Amino acid sequence: MSLLTKITVLNLLLALVAFGIGGVRVYHTFRYEVQRETDFTLRESLDELEHTIRSGVPADGLQTHLMRVTAIDTVLPGDTKFEFADTLAMHPVLKRPELFRRLTTVRNIDGRYYRFMLMNVVIEQSDIRRISENIVKDLFVVLGSILLVFNFLFSFLLLRPFKKTLEKIKRFNLPSGALPQFPASSTTEFRRLNNFLTEMLHKARTDYRALKEFSENASHEIQTPLAVASGKLELLVESPGLDDTQVQLVQEAQQALAHLSKLSEALLLLTKIENLEFAPQTPVNFSTILAAECQIFGELAELKGLQFTAGIEPGIHLRLDPGLARILVSNLLKNAIRHNIDGGWISLQLDAKQLVIKNAGAEPPVPPAQLFGRFQKSAQTGKSLGLGLAIVKKICEVNKLDVQYTYATGVHEVIIRF
Amino acid sequence: MKLLIVEDEQALLDNMLSYLSRGDLVCEHATTFREAQDKLVSFEYDIVVLDIMLPDGNGLNLLRLLKESRPEAGVLIISAKNALDDRVAGLELGADDYLTKPFHLPELNARLKAIYRRRKFQGHKAVQFNEISVNTDTYEAMVHETPLTLTLKEHELLVFFIANKNRVLTKQTIAEHLWGDHVDLQDSFDFVYQHIKNLRKKITAAGGEDYIKTIYGLGYKWSV
Repeated sequence: MSLLTKITVLNLLLALVAFGIGGVRVYHTFRYEVQRETDFTLRESLDELEHTIRSGVPADGLQTHLMRVTAIDTVLPGDTKFEFADTLAMHPVLKRPELFRRLTTVRNIDGRYYRFMLMNVVIEQSDIRRISENIVKDLFVVLGSILLVFNFLFSFLLLRPFKKTLEKIKRFNLPSGALPQFPASSTTEFRRLNNFLTEMLHKARTDYRALKEFSENASHEIQTPLAVASGKLELLVESPGLDDTQVQLVQEAQQALAHLSKLSEALLLLTKIENLEFAPQTPVNFSTILAAECQIFGELAELKGLQFTAGIEPGIHLRLDPGLARILVSNLLKNAIRHNIDGGWISLQLDAKQLVIKNAGAEPPVPPAQLFGRFQKSAQTGKSLGLGLAIVKKICEVNKLDVQYTYATGVHEVIIRF
Repeated sequence: MKLLIVEDEQALLDNMLSYLSRGDLVCEHATTFREAQDKLVSFEYDIVVLDIMLPDGNGLNLLRLLKESRPEAGVLIISAKNALDDRVAGLELGADDYLTKPFHLPELNARLKAIYRRRKFQGHKAVQFNEISVNTDTYEAMVHETPLTLTLKEHELLVFFIANKNRVLTKQTIAEHLWGDHVDLQDSFDFVYQHIKNLRKKITAAGGEDYIKTIYGLGYKWSV
């Protein structure tokens, strides 16, 4: 929900509460006033009645269904207080029981005591309620819509710089592109936010460039001496008079150098992927890349005596750097060959939704999910770098692909969902 | 074949010079951009081996200069950066090939010979060794007059051997030549063995001599 919607909804809720409380108050005030007015009328009628009796009209002739006057013969200590009560009685016109206000009292008129009972129809509670509700409803609609419109307008105007800032950040591209210029705002908070963002983006850019330069230089500085050492060993092998043991030593040293070189390359690759240096501009034909890798690895699998089957749907395009796509596929196929069993098999399936690579193999020593970590490798393949799946995971992460590794009863399965 | 090696790292330069000088190559060298520029202007070379990271300039500019003045010279770029951009830029500017450090010296040797072949013998790209001849364009190979039926990898292996005749090729070097980056499969050495076994069998069956000598624990050698 957007900030603007949230503010508006909150305002409406607040108005609803306010109008609710207001409605209850209107209802009670209204009821109180109605009752007071009814009671006042009843008292006036009583005064009038007393006056009539005092003027000599006999009390018996004054009976109606709304007033009853009875003369009392016994001597009473004095007037009683006015007693008001609500009561139900038959309505003379409507012919159904209705709520009435009743006043009962005993009065002394010219030395005689009379018991008075006066009744008057009152406005019903439900009517009062309906009226109050209607008032509040009308008010809510009118005030609420005014509130809504202005709130929306003001919030929109107030939040506009914030929205612009958000749009600019969204469009910002760390490796390339200019640093965004945020719009000036008279709101202190937004000004502070924009200043902070400008500083942070500048720093992020500087750090990014520094890291990129460092990793490139580090690669150069590491690979050059490795190239020198490996070349010296190659020259040493060529020199006459080396015995088998010496040759073996040279060979092992060379393998260690090759391992080191590949390791530094793999770590550099991970850094570069993390650093988002591979931003695909256009989708690549993943089917073609996959088919080319399958040819290479199919041959290697065959040499190892593995059965290799591939089902590739043609024309599958992915937004992925072509170099990374090759690395992704080759790392997975390499693993499928390496962690296989004698006379095992590999199967590969590509369709529009996913790439599935399955292979026969022994149970991995650690849970499959952990294999995506760096330097996770099984003991029997000590020569591997232990970075292959970490690179796969990183490529998938950066390119928003979902990768899963599962193992069940002798079958390893890697699924990449697009 | 006359060669200029432009490389600022002295030790690496020494490696290349001592390895390549043993063959039929005339090697000259330059360690700076300026020196390389002077030599390129003054002399003619068949192939220039160019490190693109030089202390006093970008090797790509040197490449540009060379392609303007002497477009017939072959260029092999060497870089420590495996960056795809550099590779593409280099090849677009007219470089023939690209090697990433660290590389095997026999690999460099084979690549140089391949460039030389493409540049010098256009239309007749054959490698000849005694009774064996290989056409690197059509992938056809003959022993005397008998054609050999070779797989792609066996063909590459044969050309690689002939380019590095009388030199020791470790299994690692051969594996990397055949499969490039895919080679860190530990079984690749067995694959090399199988390919060599097949190649030997095919050559001897066609009446050729078995020039491939096994060097115990290390690799193979095409010995004359």
